[in-house]
Amino acid sequence: MDRDLLRQCLTHHGESLFNTLQCEQTENPDFQAVASDLAKATYERRGAGEGCSLVEQFIARKADILFCPTWRTAVPREDELEDEEPYAIMPPAELFMEVPFEERRAMLYRDLERGDAVVGRINNIREYGFFLTLLCAAGGLRRDIEDLELSALCHIKEIPSTGSHDDPLSYYQIGDLIRGGVKDLDRYQEKITVSLLPASLCPRLAHIKLGVVAREELPKHYSRGLRVANDTRETYERILRGCHGYHNPSVVEYLLGRAGVSDDRPPSLMRGLQSKHFHEEDFATVIRKKQSASWALKCVRSGVDHFKHGRHVEAMNEYNKALEIDTNNVEALVARGALYANKGGMMKAISDFELGLETCPDHRNAKKYLCQTLVERGKQLQEQEKFVTAEGLYRRALSLDDSYPEAQAALRRITDTIQKSIRLREEATAKETEKAKSGKTSAQKLRKILKDEKRMKKKRKRSSSSSSSSSSSSERPSLSPTSTTSSRRRSKKRRRKRGGSERGSQRRRRRSSKRSEEEEEEEEYPAPPNTSASFLYRQGFLGSGAGRGEGGEEGGEEEEEVVVDDRRISQLYSLSAASEDEGSEPRGGDGEGRRGRSFSSHGKGGRRRSGEGRRRSRGRSREEGRSSEEGRGRSREEGRRRSRGRSSEEGRSRGRSREEGRRRSRGRSSEEGRSSEEGRSSEEGRGRSREGPRAPPPSTSTSSSNGQGGVARPPQPAGGGAGKKGLPANLMDIFNKIAKFEKEKGAGPRK
Amino acid sequence: MEDPSSRTAHDGPPGQVARGGSDSETDVTREIKTHFRVCRFIMESGVKLGMRSVPVATACELYHRFFECVSLRVYEPYLVAMSCVYLAGKVEEQHLRTRDIINVSHRYFHNASAPLECDREFWELRDSVVQCELLILRQLDFHVSFRHPHKYLLHYLMSVKALVNRHAWTRTPVAETAWALLRDCYHGVMCIHHAPQHIAIATLYLALNSYGVEMPVGEREWWQVLCEDVTKEDINAVISDLLQLYDMEAKCV
Repeated sequence: MDRDLLRQCLTHHGESLFNTLQCEQTENPDFQAVASDLAKATYERRGAGEGCSLVEQFIARKADILFCPTWRTAVPREDELEDEEPYAIMPPAELFMEVPFEERRAMLYRDLERGDAVVGRINNIREYGFFLTLLCAAGGLRRDIEDLELSALCHIKEIPSTGSHDDPLSYYQIGDLIRGGVKDLDRYQEKITVSLLPASLCPRLAHIKLGVVAREELPKHYSRGLRVANDTRETYERILRGCHGYHNPSVVEYLLGRAGVSDDRPPSLMRGLQSKHFHEEDFATVIRKKQSASWALKCVRSGVDHFKHGRHVEAMNEYNKALEIDTNNVEALVARGALYANKGGMMKAISDFELGLETCPDHRNAKKYLCQTLVERGKQLQEQEKFVTAEGLYRRALSLDDSYPEAQAALRRITDTIQKSIRLREEATAKETEKAKSGKTSAQKLRKILKDEKRMKKKRKRSSSSSSSSSSSSERPSLSPTSTTSSRRRSKKRRRKRGGSERGSQRRRRRSSKRSEEEEEEEEYPAPPNTSASFLYRQGFLGSGAGRGEGGEEGGEEEEEVVVDDRRISQLYSLSAASEDEGSEPRGGDGEGRRGRSFSSHGKGGRRRSGEGRRRSRGRSREEGRSSEEGRGRSREEGRRRSRGRSSEEGRSRGRSREEGRRRSRGRSSEEGRSSEEGRSSEEGRGRSREGPRAPPPSTSTSSSNGQGGVARPPQPAGGGAGKKGLPANLMDIFNKIAKFEKEKGAGPRK
Repeated sequence: MEDPSSRTAHDGPPGQVARGGSDSETDVTREIKTHFRVCRFIMESGVKLGMRSVPVATACELYHRFFECVSLRVYEPYLVAMSCVYLAGKVEEQHLRTRDIINVSHRYFHNASAPLECDREFWELRDSVVQCELLILRQLDFHVSFRHPHKYLLHYLMSVKALVNRHAWTRTPVAETAWALLRDCYHGVMCIHHAPQHIAIATLYLALNSYGVEMPVGEREWWQVLCEDVTKEDINAVISDLLQLYDMEAKCV
């Protein structure tokens, strides 16, 4: 119990109340705690008038509520809105009450505080400041003080300087109305000091402007008070009715908020209406929600019944009705999704399932149906050659249900397909680059690229079996970050397969996350990012894979085309700014893939590397799509490195090996040089790559290219495996090659 | 404004057979208790439906005015109460759905029950509420908008607050108490027997008195100033009616 409040109350009512309190509140432990303190003082009835025993009895009975510390819930809101009038701002009541002079004076000195705002009229100007006769308070304290003739001093140093060297007091004249902040208040000596500096106001009133004010800016309660003072017929009620704010329809809410009383959990002194007796489940909104869910369920059940009997239209109607009653009802969404899926509206079904899972993530049926629908949709997309999207869908399905066999199988199939397509693309671009070594304009290159892509697509479909066709294009030594879509797609998978390859491109790193997903399925550990030789490995892997996959069928021209394609695209990329090749758009993917392919081609590695390289290049191509500039620069380096390293290891892809051979022989100085190298090496490499992916460690470029070229490309995994073993040695070789290349670059001309 | 004592003249529904002294007392008391309980039902439902104070007051006033002229035997009071709530929501622009009113009422009478199904019972209830609403309108001659003490009370509160030291005001929960007293007024017929300004003044007076807040004294009292025609007797009458309601709570609920 609030002791001070009780004491105040007892002081007002006297001893009799105390006795009554003791009678009524004997069982109340809170009261007993304070009773002893209160008993010490004797209470004289201070309050005027009759002591009403009924009232005392009421107070005594309700004391446990009235004096409970939690009863005081009001949090008053004091915002000063003088311009609008959301409620009737009345003149000070003491004006009506005709409170005597002394009492008003005493009240003012008791209640005025430092930081308040006051309005006064200048009555005297001295050299050290001016004196104000206070008219009213401007900050919310509503008192009738004009006739008290209180004088406040505003010192000259409290006047803000105007900047010029004039005497600031010269701006003020006798009779001006000034609004200032109370800087200091001496209650005993009854001296008030006023300041015009904004810092003198309390934070609550900080928005009030200080200084000279016009008559119109005086507070409303003051101007209305003047009217009352002049006209004795004006009553409170009349003024109240006449105020504009009184007729505000939401005045009750506004004032209630100002007073701080809550209308949501309204206070009451009745025992039965105390807030603790209200249960949340009895409230209207809660019951409504439960009821809506139950009604919707009924509709869903009838809808399912319709569905089972084949009445799809009625079933859909029932489901829609259920969702109208209760939006986001999980059962209705799942049932409707199943109906959509049955009828072939996959996207709608998926969106319904997803919505249902948002509300209830553990719904078994929703998850199951969603998996199935995703796989179905993925298959549809696969037929439309939207491999990347389809892959995404399969992944989503697997993320929902790890053990869903169909999704796993589908994902594996599609990763293969993507890899193949990427490899094909890379080969094509490699060939392209070879062909169009120098002096080709971008337009010509582009035209060629487009042609090649079409061709590659056809070839890809044909050679879908060649899994190990590392994207020959990726082996293009061109530094430009070109990669075909397929290579990009493949590079995604490749990234995973690369595992451990040190393709250190950022793109790769970025894609490594994607790759790692793939790798779960591909059973290769992810390639460590940011190793220069990763491109070499990837390229080598890709080269072996792609070359192997497609070399037999497609022969040299393809490689060349692929290489050339790659080159051209990489050049394109180098020409254009970073073009984000998002999505599964083949062209963009081509660019990426080509880039990736070039990287992978650079990254000479073993079989393993070829696999990884493919993935890497795919991943890289993806990354390249994202930041072609970075990729370009990196691809350049990597290409270089790769070419060097590759010379030892490559041989997978025809084009790549060609490139590599060229690179090896010449070292990589520039794209053009490289392309020319590629062109040359592709020829050599083709032969070499046919020899087999198991190339001897890179000792000389020629030897390695020889080794690589011409060898029938073993299946990719094998190549990948071999590559893995060869990795450490290759790394060292690659670094050596890099050093050599740097020297060469400095010295040798571009070929 | 009616004299509070005139309330006792409402001995029972007009036209009812006069009973023996004690019987009519019991009848009257029983009726008063029924009305008290029904008003308690209205107040509780108001809280659960999220109604503001003024619409709840309107609902109670509609109910009291309706039963001023009709017999409790003829009309089911709880149904009338539900319709009063619905009508009050419309009058005071805080529209409520019949579905929510039915849900809350059903749960009030059948504690912890499942929500009603969308079946015949639900629709019949809904029809009843809507029909009764029309009945109430006709009984009250379509005079359904009232002046409530709430607006007066809040303005008086602002004026009185200005007279008191701000720190003393924040220490003393006068606003909550006055508001609670005003809301509790509506359990009984007193709300229609006194003028809204008088009720406002009386509740504020009682709240200030309960905490022993000292008000400045001038030529006139603060309550005289705020409302010209109120007298101390009026204030006392209102307060005594209100206190009787609190006593009745102990007997009824």
